[in-house]
Formats: sequence, structure tokens, C-alpha cells
Amino acid sequence: MFGRQPVDEYAGKLRWPRLGQDVAIVAWPSFLVASVATMVCFAFIDPLLVGNDDYPPPAFASRMTGYAVGFFFFWLVSALSSLLTLYLVRTAHPEPPETDGAAGHGVRGRQ
Amino acid sequence: MSVPEPQPDGGLYAARQKIYPREIEGRFQRLRTLAAWVLLGIFYVIPWLRWEGRQAVLFDLPARQFHIFGLTLWPQDFYFLTWLLIIAALSLFFFTALAGRLFCGYACPQTVWTETFLWMERFVEGSRSQQMKLARAPWTTEKVLRKAAKQFLWITFALWTGFTFVGYFTPITQLAGKIVSLSTGPWETFWVLFYGGATYVNAGFMREQVCKYMCPYARFQSAMFDKDTLIITYDDGRGEPRGARKKGVDHKARGLGDCVDCTMCVQVCPTGIDIRKGLQYECIACAACIDACDEVMDKVGYPRGLIRYDTQHGLEGARKRVVRPRTMIYATLLALLVAGLAYTVTHRNVVGVDILRDRNALYRERPDGKIENVYNVKILNKDSAEHEFTISVSGLPGVEIAYSGPTVWVGPGQVQGVPVRIRAPREAIAGGADIQVNIQADDTPGLRASGRARFIAPTD
Repeated sequence: MFGRQPVDEYAGKLRWPRLGQDVAIVAWPSFLVASVATMVCFAFIDPLLVGNDDYPPPAFASRMTGYAVGFFFFWLVSALSSLLTLYLVRTAHPEPPETDGAAGHGVRGRQ
Repeated sequence: MSVPEPQPDGGLYAARQKIYPREIEGRFQRLRTLAAWVLLGIFYVIPWLRWEGRQAVLFDLPARQFHIFGLTLWPQDFYFLTWLLIIAALSLFFFTALAGRLFCGYACPQTVWTETFLWMERFVEGSRSQQMKLARAPWTTEKVLRKAAKQFLWITFALWTGFTFVGYFTPITQLAGKIVSLSTGPWETFWVLFYGGATYVNAGFMREQVCKYMCPYARFQSAMFDKDTLIITYDDGRGEPRGARKKGVDHKARGLGDCVDCTMCVQVCPTGIDIRKGLQYECIACAACIDACDEVMDKVGYPRGLIRYDTQHGLEGARKRVVRPRTMIYATLLALLVAGLAYTVTHRNVVGVDILRDRNALYRERPDGKIENVYNVKILNKDSAEHEFTISVSGLPGVEIAYSGPTVWVGPGQVQGVPVRIRAPREAIAGGADIQVNIQADDTPGLRASGRARFIAPTD
């Protein structure tokens, strides 16, 4: 249509390589979830009291160590979950093309 | 033909092209600059404020106490944080329903720090066209110097940000001293570098891609929109058909709309989208395109507002309704929650008691025929002043308490454990019963708390 072309200098060039995108969408949401999980967890658990009654020194040398270990543990676990989800999404068969439109409509309709 | 067609989604292998947003001035950009200064100012200044001889805002993780001016929060007060998060979420709903992504454009840390990094980039490398020219230029001494200067500014600012962040968790004056003498602890060093590094990468390199690929809010915000939400929008009906025209030509006679297709709105966009294609989830509502378009409209002598804040109803010529059930409900809930939080924080009980049974013995039979249990009573004083407490016991006929001294002193923000012996006549009890241990501050009648404990006696 007249005057409706996109500004070509910019269109379609703004993606980054898929690998970088994948790292980002695995690392970032799991970082957010891990931050919340760390807050909730250590609001109720004092890292200095984590340990085994039979072998006294507590599991962590200091509270700061406990918090940091806890945070990275949560981050790792939630990142693994994000990674699996992403893998399942990326390796699934694409959605079947829409069939309700005109012929050939579905081919480009798949993003 | 074996040449693969370009992928409609931008291609699997296409490298991302850096966006050089054109610098723009205007009323909304002044507002954003002001917001950035205020928010960054708050972030960088707060750790340096003092309150009654200590850091005013200190989240003292090693001691498990949060100090916020006169208020000291303990792990037991965690529900305040939950409450605060609910208020934050509801505010996001409220403001999104009202005026779209205000948060993204004006207050999101990602936007604010990216903007700051852009200022530094412009300061060293010049305007958009100068930056693009520099990027294409060969590596001359000048280019090396300019790039190095930019990196120096970015890294210094990022490290200062990391330092400030850690300063919320460890006393910032001590931390500054340790940094000067290079004697920071391993975790302090790590978190300064971690947070500084995150700032550098997020604001220096990832920028709009965080909003486009990583931010969940960008994807679900449209669910909170309705036809009365103010969004940044291009007036299709007025602008189209777009096209260049000579000055002084009656464009309407030639079948043109008000859009002169100067692409300024695209050039200023920090996420590189074309607002004229309609609402897109990449739009962070920074309003740079409004300012750019207003400037152009002024120049060509058309009325402002071809791109403007408007509602879908407004664009269709219907009435704008800011006050409507959705916003009223959000506003009411928000007001109730904030008032409730304010009341609870100011009226919370600042003393607490924990009663732990002595693990070594169940009970002891005394020569006078009474049964004795031993407990450790922990008195928690969350107040900012020292108090003297009396411990008493109730719940059984003839029950009495013995502990060292008539009263116990507990300092501000301290926990004091007191071994107590509780005795009850044998005939009052068989097997076990619940008793209640009460503490009472001698100087303030309102400061009291009680806790339940199990009293154990022989079963016969």
C-alpha cells in the first residue's frame, strides 16, 4: 500500500544471535526467581543454624557465605528448569499452519 | 535456487545491529531526565545518610536486621516485605491501566541506567551521526582514545554503582575505607564486581534487548490495557497517507496526510521500532517519538500531537475515561493496602518472647512436693530504646516462677535469653498442661508479649 513500507534501514535487523538470546532468557528469569526465593528462604532460615546436630560446626562459615551459596543454588536450579523448558519449546514441532485463511496464507503466518 | 530466503523473524544468524538513538529534546525528555536524576540521586545518596549515629538505611544481613531510619525490621517482620511486594505489583497494574508502561519509560532501572550510559556515550563520542561515523572509521589514535575514555567512564560508573549497592548491606563508610586500603572481604569484593558487572553489561551492551527479549512485563502488560488506557500512539487517520512534500504545498489537495515521513520518530527510538506501525511490545513508552514529532510538526507548521498519549477511544473520537471501574478498584485497593501497611508498621508490637524447654530433663520433683520445669525464655526487644522486663507465668492454679533477679534488662535491638524455673503444685496437674509465659516492660504498659509452653509432670 502507498506509504506503508517499513523503514528498511532498521527493519528485521534488531535480533541478536540465537545463542545469546537463549542464554539471556534462561539466565534472566531464573535470576529474578532466585532473588525472590533467596529472600523468602533466608527470612525463615538462619544460615548459621543450618547443619547437622551430630557434627557441630554449621554448614556455612558465616551468614554471608550461606546467603551467597543459597542464592547461587537457587539460581542454578531455576536456570536448569528454564533451560529444559526452553529446550522443549525450541525442539517442538512448529504449530500447524493456520488453515482457515486463503491458500498459502499459513506459510508466512508462522513466525 | 539454493540461496536461502531471509527468515521472516530476522534470521537465525543475523547479528544484532547496535541502535544509535538520536538525541532529542522536548517536554517528555525533560521529564524523563528529571526522573532519572531523582531516582539515581535517591539510590546513590541514601546509603550515606545517618540516623541516630548509624547508617539510616542498612540491610544488615550478617546481623539479620533491616534498619530503615527509625524502624528496625527482623526476620519475623518478613510479612511487611510480602505486603510491600503486593503493593508494588498492584501499583504496576494501576499505572499500566492508567497510562501504559509509565514504569518502563520513566522509572525502570534498566531504562534509567541505559539512559545514563547513553549520556556518557554522547559526552565522549558525540551525536548519533558522529557515533555512527566513529564506528565505521578505522582505528586511529583518536578513535582508540575516545573508546577508551568511554569505557573508563562506563566502568568507573558501574563500579561505583556496585559499591553503592553493597553499601546498602554493609556499612558504606567502612566499606569505602576498606576499598581505599584494598582490604575488602571476599564477599564484598565479589558482590561489588557482580553488581557493577551487571550494570555495565545491562546498560552498556544489552540495553533495549533486555526489554525485548528478557522482560516478562513487556509481554503481559497488554493484558492490563483497555480501550481507555493512555498509550503512545500515532494518529493513523491524521497522518496517512504519509509522504514527503515541499514547503508551502497544500498537502491535503495532493492527497497526503500530516506525516511528512521524516523518520525522526524511528531515529530517536531507543528500541528501534516504528511507532507508526501501531502498539508494539518493544515500545518502552519513553515518549521520545512524541517529542521528535512535535518538533517536526512545529517546523512544518502543522498542529502538534500526530504522535501523542491517547486512548483507543480517544483515537476513535469517543470520550476519554480516566476514571472508570478498573482504575477505581485498583486505586481503592491500593489506598487500603498502603493505609493498612502504614498502620501496622507504626502499631506493630516491638517486643516478642520465645520459650524453649530445657532439653536435658523433663521435670524435677522438689522436696516441697512441687513439680519444676526449666525453660529458656528469650526476650526480643525490637524497640530503639532499652527496656526492663518482668517475666510472669499463668495458666495453672498455684503456678510460680523463679529466675535470677526481679527484672531483666534488654538493650535496643537485642535478644536476651533468661533461664527460668517454673513450679506448680503436684495436685494441680497430671501428665502435662499448657502454660503461658508473659513478659511486660516495666516502663511502658503497652510493651508486652506472651507465649505458650508445655509444662510436663508425672502422669499419676
